[in-house]
Amino acid sequence: MQPYELSLAAAAQEIRERRLSPVELVDSVLDRIERVEPHVAAYVAVFAEQARRTAREAEREAARGSCRGPLHGIPVGLKDLIDVVGVSTTASSRTRAGHRAASDSTVAASLRAAGAILIGKTHTHEFAYGLTTPQTNNAWDRGRVAGGSSGGSAVAVACGAATFALGTDTGGSIRVPAALNGVVGLKPTYGLVPRHGVTSLSWSLDHVGPITRTVDDAALVLTAIAGHDPRDPASVAVPGVDYRPRPDPDLTGVRVGVPRTYYFEHVDAEVATAVHRAIAQLEALGARLVEIGIPMTRYIQATQWGLMVPEATAYHESTLRTVPELYQADVRILLEAGELMGAGDYLRAQRARTLMRDEWAGTLKEVDVIAAPAVPMTAVPSGQETVTWPDGTVESVSDAYVRLSSPANITGVPALSVPVGQDTAGMPIGMQLLGRPFAERTLLLVGHAYERTQSARPLAPLP
Amino acid sequence: MSSAGLTPPEAARWAARAGLPLPDDRHCVVAATADHIHSVVGVLRELNFGDTPPAGAFRAEQEKHDAAV
Repeated sequence: MQPYELSLAAAAQEIRERRLSPVELVDSVLDRIERVEPHVAAYVAVFAEQARRTAREAEREAARGSCRGPLHGIPVGLKDLIDVVGVSTTASSRTRAGHRAASDSTVAASLRAAGAILIGKTHTHEFAYGLTTPQTNNAWDRGRVAGGSSGGSAVAVACGAATFALGTDTGGSIRVPAALNGVVGLKPTYGLVPRHGVTSLSWSLDHVGPITRTVDDAALVLTAIAGHDPRDPASVAVPGVDYRPRPDPDLTGVRVGVPRTYYFEHVDAEVATAVHRAIAQLEALGARLVEIGIPMTRYIQATQWGLMVPEATAYHESTLRTVPELYQADVRILLEAGELMGAGDYLRAQRARTLMRDEWAGTLKEVDVIAAPAVPMTAVPSGQETVTWPDGTVESVSDAYVRLSSPANITGVPALSVPVGQDTAGMPIGMQLLGRPFAERTLLLVGHAYERTQSARPLAPLP
Repeated sequence: MSSAGLTPPEAARWAARAGLPLPDDRHCVVAATADHIHSVVGVLRELNFGDTPPAGAFRAEQEKHDAAV
């Protein structure tokens, strides 16, 4: 096995026990990037020399017996909305030409302090306002979408071009590409991970979180980046926690909610079958399945749009007036049309969100986690605009990918996407686990327990 | 906004009132997209909110910018 193939946890153990040096690991990942990048285009920029310098420092620290923790010497890709001092945060947009971040974002500083090594900045759908990331190709089929908006991060992790990555999630932008590329994505509880220094799409819906090869890896990253930072007004002061699940988790007594509405409607049959099979696996591990209803489903898309559209337009107010021609067409039109939304629509969405949060709190008293598909269908061919369901309903690809993700953005509850197999075309399928606010440990426990029943997932192969 | 769709000149006028002059070739597409957004968010008018407050929070005390990471 080559170093780039190692999970974060496995690489950390090798480094801690001095069987692998950070220099070897970084060199291996950089070599892998050179081989896969011509096919997938996951990165906006790769910082090879800087990464090698940092790896040599990490190696010297390790040689002195000073290991900062499990992220020491581990290569990370950051979605290019996340500020790193002295580096451009392009947001994959021509409007950001010449940008240079004056300081680290809170999460970049946390990763740096934990010993992680920045290997590069990964592509996003422009300003995170989309679900496909058209610059990047799916890790498993270059003719299909990467998913988005954190498409570069998910593809890099799936290909071995980063040991882990960070993404952002406003309506599924961590979970969607994670599911479509067969990796793990965690959208933490709103307020758990500080967003200071991260370019916003929609302040009241934005989250930052890890994209990793395993659930265990996601727990290691979350432990490093969770924490209070008052520079993010949504940041919550919660006690520091080690999120890593027990090595041999027991699901006896865990109540798993299985939605009888919404999450299995207009879902591809192969996706539904794979997720039901994974849920049956949870039951075999001791979990008790509880059928549940999902509240206020008629108002989910309206609330998501009512919050996101005006907030995104507000963020871009100045640039939309000075250089509108520099935006991609799909983003520009949404920003322009957002100018025509009234305050009444926005306030109704904010009030609907209050109602929805309260209703979800009631549902989450009945169960410990909810298990559902992460996305209704696997990665579609690039350029496909719509999907037609068996009852004749036509839905845009973006709407379909957002549909099962946005409830967790509106309510702020944590949501974890875990790979649960492939369809007949070989494309990955993701299961989503949702939990109570700040109950990430429960999600990670359940996800890890499921993962332990499966054989280790291979990296996406080179074409 | 009335339930009838926005005409392109109306979209241009509304955008101008918001401080965004639209080039002529943008009027039709902005009107259509704004109409679609309106049709999606419009269902929230069905809800009886009673005294429900909006979810946005405000704290009177300014945040202290002394974060420790």
